[in-house]
Amino acid sequence: MSSSPTRNAVASGRRADAGDGKGSVELRSVSKSFGGVTVVKDLDLSVNPGEFLSLLGPSGCGKTTTLRMLAGFEQPDSGEVLISGAAVQHLPPHKRDVNTVFQSYALFPHMTVAANIAYGLRQRRGIDRAEIRSRVAEALDMVQMTRFADRKPNRLSGGQQQRVALARALVNRPGVLLLDEPLAALDRKLREDMQVELKLLQSRLGTTFVFVTHDQEEALSMSDRVAVMLDGRIEQIADPYTVYERPATAFVAGFIGQQNFFDGTVADAGRAIEIDGGTVLPAEPVTIHGSGAAAVRVAVRPEAVTVAEAAPAGPDGSANALPGAVAAVSLLGDVLQYVVHADAGHELLARVPRRQAGRLAEGARVWCSWAPSDVHVFPAEVTPRAPIGSAK
Amino acid sequence: MNHHDHTPRLLAPAARVAGLPRRTFLAGLAAAAGAPLLAACGGSSGSGGSGAAAQLRAYSWSAYDDPKVLAEFTAKHGPKVIVDSYSSNEEMIAKLAAAKGTSGYDIVIPTGVFVPQMAANGLLQELDHGKLPNLANLDKAFQNQEWDEGNKYTVTKYWGTTGFVYDTGVVKRDLKTWDDFFDAAQKEASGKTSLVDDPGEICAMLCFARGWHQSTTDKAQLDQIETFLVDTLAPHIAAFDSSPGSSAIPQGTHVLMHCWNGDARRGILASSEQDRWKWVLPGPKTNLWMDNWAIVKGSANADAAHELINYVLDPAVAIKQVDFVGYGSGVTGSEEEARKLKLGLIDMIFPSAEQVATMYTGVINEGQERRMAIVNKMKAKAGA
Amino acid sequence: MTSDRRVPRAARRAVPPGLLATPALAWLALFFVAPVGLVFWYSLGRKPGLYQTHANDVLTLDRYREALGDTFLTSFSGTLRIGVTGTALCLAIGLPFAYWLAVKVRPHRRFVVLALVLVPFWTNFLIRTIGWQVVLSPEGFASRAMQSLGLIDAPFSMLFTRGAVLLGVVYNYLPMMILPLYVALDRIDGSLREASNDLGANRWRTALQVTLPLARPGIAAGLLLVFIPLMGDYVTAAVLGGARGNMVGQLVASQFQQAQNWALGSAMAVVLIVVIALTILATAAAGAVCTWLLTHRRRRELAGIAEGSAA
Ligand SMILES: Nc1ncnc2c1ncn2[C@@H]1O[C@H](COP(=O)(O)OP(=O)(O)O)[C@@H](O)[C@H]1O
Ligand SMILES: [Mg+2]
Repeated sequence: MSSSPTRNAVASGRRADAGDGKGSVELRSVSKSFGGVTVVKDLDLSVNPGEFLSLLGPSGCGKTTTLRMLAGFEQPDSGEVLISGAAVQHLPPHKRDVNTVFQSYALFPHMTVAANIAYGLRQRRGIDRAEIRSRVAEALDMVQMTRFADRKPNRLSGGQQQRVALARALVNRPGVLLLDEPLAALDRKLREDMQVELKLLQSRLGTTFVFVTHDQEEALSMSDRVAVMLDGRIEQIADPYTVYERPATAFVAGFIGQQNFFDGTVADAGRAIEIDGGTVLPAEPVTIHGSGAAAVRVAVRPEAVTVAEAAPAGPDGSANALPGAVAAVSLLGDVLQYVVHADAGHELLARVPRRQAGRLAEGARVWCSWAPSDVHVFPAEVTPRAPIGSAK
Repeated sequence: MNHHDHTPRLLAPAARVAGLPRRTFLAGLAAAAGAPLLAACGGSSGSGGSGAAAQLRAYSWSAYDDPKVLAEFTAKHGPKVIVDSYSSNEEMIAKLAAAKGTSGYDIVIPTGVFVPQMAANGLLQELDHGKLPNLANLDKAFQNQEWDEGNKYTVTKYWGTTGFVYDTGVVKRDLKTWDDFFDAAQKEASGKTSLVDDPGEICAMLCFARGWHQSTTDKAQLDQIETFLVDTLAPHIAAFDSSPGSSAIPQGTHVLMHCWNGDARRGILASSEQDRWKWVLPGPKTNLWMDNWAIVKGSANADAAHELINYVLDPAVAIKQVDFVGYGSGVTGSEEEARKLKLGLIDMIFPSAEQVATMYTGVINEGQERRMAIVNKMKAKAGA
Repeated sequence: MTSDRRVPRAARRAVPPGLLATPALAWLALFFVAPVGLVFWYSLGRKPGLYQTHANDVLTLDRYREALGDTFLTSFSGTLRIGVTGTALCLAIGLPFAYWLAVKVRPHRRFVVLALVLVPFWTNFLIRTIGWQVVLSPEGFASRAMQSLGLIDAPFSMLFTRGAVLLGVVYNYLPMMILPLYVALDRIDGSLREASNDLGANRWRTALQVTLPLARPGIAAGLLLVFIPLMGDYVTAAVLGGARGNMVGQLVASQFQQAQNWALGSAMAVVLIVVIALTILATAAAGAVCTWLLTHRRRRELAGIAEGSAA
């Protein structure tokens, strides 16, 4: 039995229904609290059919709760949940056009792999035995687990269990597949392989995936769009490139990749930022509402920072340039990472391609500089919770 | 301390609770539940007095002594009295025989007919009449019984008889004989009749009615007993209860109850409607039994044991015991004393001379096993 | 042995297999094998005379012939009826309760509920049973309450009926059913029920296809913990059932305590042990066959998928 026709069969089964709104997800001002603590606040979210959307955010920000409201395990306190165009907030899980891949996999320990996968089909009417058998076989083939059909789950590795959980959900051909940190329990290498596989599978099947993760690399590498969550709200929802390059808030900027942050005030009619120590950082014109000297937070990516022994030349040599001394050097694969103590007191993180320049020694006097277009300016009143990766 | 505390029925209103029964198959279990209480009351008053022995261990029918009497004995003479209970003579004998003198018990209360067997098997110690000056108080009628000539091993503690109690609200006619009992059990009291849980007593009923010896070994008579009990009577029996007095009478559970006189009296006294119950000593014949003080062979506290026996032979003490259990003691003049004190339902403790004339004692013989089998068969039939 | 070089060092240092089991085996030998052996030995003997309990001078199977008479069989069938009905009632009441406790009650309240389940056990077994006698009697609490509420107009008595026996049995044995069931249900990961629900099964199908099969060890433990002691218990039945609560255990006890016929009592005890063991085995076998029949079709429908791939 060759594998590609069966995979296509699974895929076509899904695609046949696409286009009538099947697979779309919408949350309309959904709120949810537990014991007086609001966990999800007035959340709006819209996912297109066939899209791979990640919910990304730090632990405890409400990702799982949001997903569980989609699955039907939690009822929203207010707001509407629409799946494939129909309001489902009052429907129990078994009446929703979604299936879930649980973080713990939740495979039935008393059933074989094949029986686990057949479980969803057996709950439905009008699927005859031959069809169940052929769909189970297809699903097993799809996740390359055919050999293990007769095993009990406790005799499978984590990665194998993961595949079974996936097959068990997908065999039902749901409009939307919900995945709650499905790869978190796998080791790094296996996780990276599964990321690729999962993405390929999703684009082949065209099923809408709502994928919860706290791992920004995972979210960026797999998703069509990423919704970055904080404290029960979506901070930004956009494609990975935009989220990375144009973070909407200081929190998003800090949460995705690493950043050098500076606190300062707007100067020069919005064309420069004054930071403590009197240094002026020119930026692309900023539109910060309020008085002339509004407080702002400025972010510059480490890879945008150039490190050189000579002071940068140019029309305005001192613009976006800070002198300092190299405090530490480390090699991160293709990239050299410098920690520079600026004379003005800031600590700067810079990443330069390894081949681009000779390696500078610790203690060397250097200039750090960057282009005005690499400066992101955010209102200062948003104080993110210690964003991961911010250089202080 | 009230004797209420000895009953395991803690949920009952206190006023309706009487003492524990003489014989009940639950007695051993009840003793386990009540042991701490008994021990506690035994030791409630100090340890003054002659104090040769710190404690006396009695193995007895349950609730067979007024705890106040035991406490007063401890206060006067020193030894604490710890009581364990048994529910049949056989059980007691088996325990003593198995222990071969190391049972740790000082005193037992065997029923008269079992005494020769126990003496022959070396389970009992001869009494030292010199240490029992109050033996003079024992009525002649209770001395020198055929099973213990000269009171070598025993002193009568209580005597009693067997009859029945019925609810006059349900059985509206006069019941007088065992045949009346059988008749009512199959009519008004069907399904509301209880029998004492004792094979000898159950089988004896028909013997009394027919004029056979109550301990008959005649095969034809035993066969008739079996047929009657299993086929005729069993379906009408609601319970085998050796102590209807402790709950069935006060709670009005049954209509017709085969029971011992002391137990019946206790139950009627505890009932909220005493007039509702009628006690009958049925004719033509009925049972007479005596339970007796005896000292266990090998007792380490024989002196203290004599002291206790002597103590309860004091008429003033004996009357308290009589009031507590509702059985007559062998102490001379206890009936007169009881009448003087106007004890309740006194005629149930002391039947008239004519009634006593209709009573006789059973014997232990090889019919025992058959009687046991008959009653077991009857129980199986009643439960089916 | 220790000089054998081929034995790896770790293995030599390790505790010899079986040593860890020694205390348990000794316990079993001392408190199970020895007494049962003794009872079996007595059962082959006889009661030599009125005042002796047993003798093994002549070995005979006659006691078994006596034991298996009418009386025993009638009593036994009554006992089996009470045992089976009582166990079934405990399961019927205990299972939903344990499920509610393990699944619906908030974790920090479970302890309180479990403690309440066990409250009756703080009182002596006999006392709490006799307590029911008081409640159920015609002058008792239940009858008075119903009369004062006008539900009945004459005192009623539930005492000494089969219903009273079953009530007492359920009351005394229910905790023995609830505890193992609770432990088994509590161990089932809640996400399994969610997964089942997510895959399209409603609550009942989830219970039948996921929860109950996974709770099977607990169900088996509960059934045994109730059934076995119940078959030997004659106190509950006698206190509340009177003559209707005649149990075979009472027959055995009467041989030892009243008839002083240890040989016959032992034979009855052996028969009882064997019959109880056979009942349990038969139930287990019936359960296994039912499960097999129920799942057989489904297993066939998925059989051979793995082999298909190898080809
Ligand atoms: N069933 C619940 N009861 C009480 N609090 C809950 C419950 N589920 C989640 N929470 C709380 O809600 C918050 C968000 O949880 P969750 O949605 O699981 O976050 P995430 O998946 O993003 O880590 C957490 O503070 C968590 O403790
Ligand atoms: Mg989560």
